[in-house]
Amino acid sequence: MRQMWAGRARSVVAVLVVLGVAMLPGGAVQSQEKKAIVITIPVGLSGVNSVVAPAVVQSAELAAEEINAKGGVLGRKIQVIPLDDESGPAGAVKAFNTAIRQHKTDAIITMETSAARNAGAPIADKSNTLFIYTSFYEGKACGKNLYINAWVPEQVVPPLIKFMTDEKKVKKWFAVGSDYAFGRGMIESAKATIKGMGGTLVGEEYQPLQQSDWTAIISKIRAANPDGIIYSTSGGGPNIDFMKQFKAAGLKMPVGSLSIDELTAEAGGNAAEGVYYTGDYFTGLDNPENKAFLDAMKKKFGAGLKTPNSLSEPEYDGVYAYAMAVEKAGSTDTDKVAKVLPNIVFKGPRGQVQMNKQHHAPLPVYLAQVQADGKTKVLKGFGLIDPGNQCPNLK
Amino acid sequence: MFITQLLDVVTTAGVLYIVALGLLIVYGVLKIINLAHGAFLAMGAYAGVITTRAGWNPWTALLLAFVIGILVAAVVEWRVLSSLYARPLDTILATWGLNIIVVQAITLYFGREIHFAASAIERAVDVGGVTYSAYRLVLLLVAVVLGVAVWLVLQRTQIGTVARAVIMNEELAQSLGINTRLVRFVTFGLGAGLAALSGALLTPLISVHPYLGVPWLINAFMLVLVAGMSLVNLAAAALVLGGAQVVVSSYGNPVLGSLTIVILAVIILRFRTIPI
Repeated sequence: MRQMWAGRARSVVAVLVVLGVAMLPGGAVQSQEKKAIVITIPVGLSGVNSVVAPAVVQSAELAAEEINAKGGVLGRKIQVIPLDDESGPAGAVKAFNTAIRQHKTDAIITMETSAARNAGAPIADKSNTLFIYTSFYEGKACGKNLYINAWVPEQVVPPLIKFMTDEKKVKKWFAVGSDYAFGRGMIESAKATIKGMGGTLVGEEYQPLQQSDWTAIISKIRAANPDGIIYSTSGGGPNIDFMKQFKAAGLKMPVGSLSIDELTAEAGGNAAEGVYYTGDYFTGLDNPENKAFLDAMKKKFGAGLKTPNSLSEPEYDGVYAYAMAVEKAGSTDTDKVAKVLPNIVFKGPRGQVQMNKQHHAPLPVYLAQVQADGKTKVLKGFGLIDPGNQCPNLK
Repeated sequence: MFITQLLDVVTTAGVLYIVALGLLIVYGVLKIINLAHGAFLAMGAYAGVITTRAGWNPWTALLLAFVIGILVAAVVEWRVLSSLYARPLDTILATWGLNIIVVQAITLYFGREIHFAASAIERAVDVGGVTYSAYRLVLLLVAVVLGVAVWLVLQRTQIGTVARAVIMNEELAQSLGINTRLVRFVTFGLGAGLAALSGALLTPLISVHPYLGVPWLINAFMLVLVAGMSLVNLAAAALVLGGAQVVVSSYGNPVLGSLTIVILAVIILRFRTIPI
């Protein structure tokens, strides 16, 4: 009975809407107010990012549920729609077009590969759609509607090098990387910092992406006998390949990683024990927002929970920051939202995040170390670290 | 530095030999390149994940991998490959298809993320004044043992003699009353079992994920093309090509080193006078 009434009520509304549209423009605006705010998430549900993508979607779903439980934004609910960008540029083009044309998305908030982002961002710009990118990346991606709330190398590399220089007394460094853009970019950033701190580089080697045998590089490290290692492989497995073989070779100098993450370290068991790394999010962060976030995630997803991590958590912050900006702007109009977005401060699991520096965010950065069981322990926080000049042409 | 490099060369050759052995046996007897070799490698590596989860001794992973490899191969040979022997090109398609099925099945069950397999040996030992990975030395020993074992089976057992007859001239062997059907069945099982075993042997060196077999398949494939059907040739090829890879990686860089095996294989094939 209730359903029948609901159905009848809907048809009455529909008639009114039709009449409204026909008679006065105000009527159309009125009905739109009840329509959900659509946030699309083009993310790598297939391809190289498919390990992390489900966790990203879960972050967005939790944020939307929490915001909707408090009445939504401007009286409207938030609806999140995940799309598969196939972890690459071709898929991203399809996903962004689907988001904009089919779903009439109000904003795109997502974590993607750099290639996918570079393909998608111009499409978002062209249709004047707001795009909040929530993945850490190599830096210097700029666009009128592109906002980024995750780290760039300038934020995580110098603190790690400084810690190893000051506290582990590393003066002679050996740099190791996977032979691709991100791996080489991170090592370039590390080299600049090492030089700035008076350290010397006794070796620098790159390994092809497919190659999992690190024997030659490990022998070179042994011959160069550095005080410490800084490395940046591609994500996931190569971290463990390198560390397993490094340890099996009996090498004992301190290692700093620019590519390992909590899930990889844990999956590697004791392989990465002792490795230092920096980041803006760890599940072990000791603050009330993070505890509440992790509890809510466990409650919502139960056994199906994908462990939140540094690639997935910023999605949660991104949805919140967008919702707060829409509330403040009083509209989902991209120009109006973009105008207030840099003023929005969201205190989330990572700490205080505000995208006020050339569309990037100064972020709280922490130092962590992998333990014997593969778990990550947060050792200390460095406070808010500035992203530096990422987009000098933007405010 | 010299001793380290010498050890790098011989242990790299040992690892390559272990990985390529199963592929060579299958190629020798069945005259097909088993493109599912990489998938069997992955299967063996996941045997390590299973024994780690069950809390068993890491060495039991080797036995489990060998058995799983043989069982899966037996079913595949019996139901699929046996009807394709008259069409060699189709066996390439079939084994590549099998590769995709196995990798996707692993992905469905374990997921794409990496997994942990416990290592039996993690320490380093002192060799002639150099600290070196104990496990790589063990692998060298395993390569020698496996090589000798397979050679003994071929030379000293009934099934080995029959297999050699099939390698030399299959039609003639058949006309003498040899059940070549059975020989093929046993060989494919053994080859796949060895592939899975080598996957389990690799887990202390590399991370476990569904696609771990791909780069190894390519190198093993090159070695087998160069070696033809001889175990001795395979050892020589592993030593020369693997050694060249280490030397180029050490004096040049690993990016060039990774190309060495492929380039050398092409050159050797071009100038070799004896047809495979």
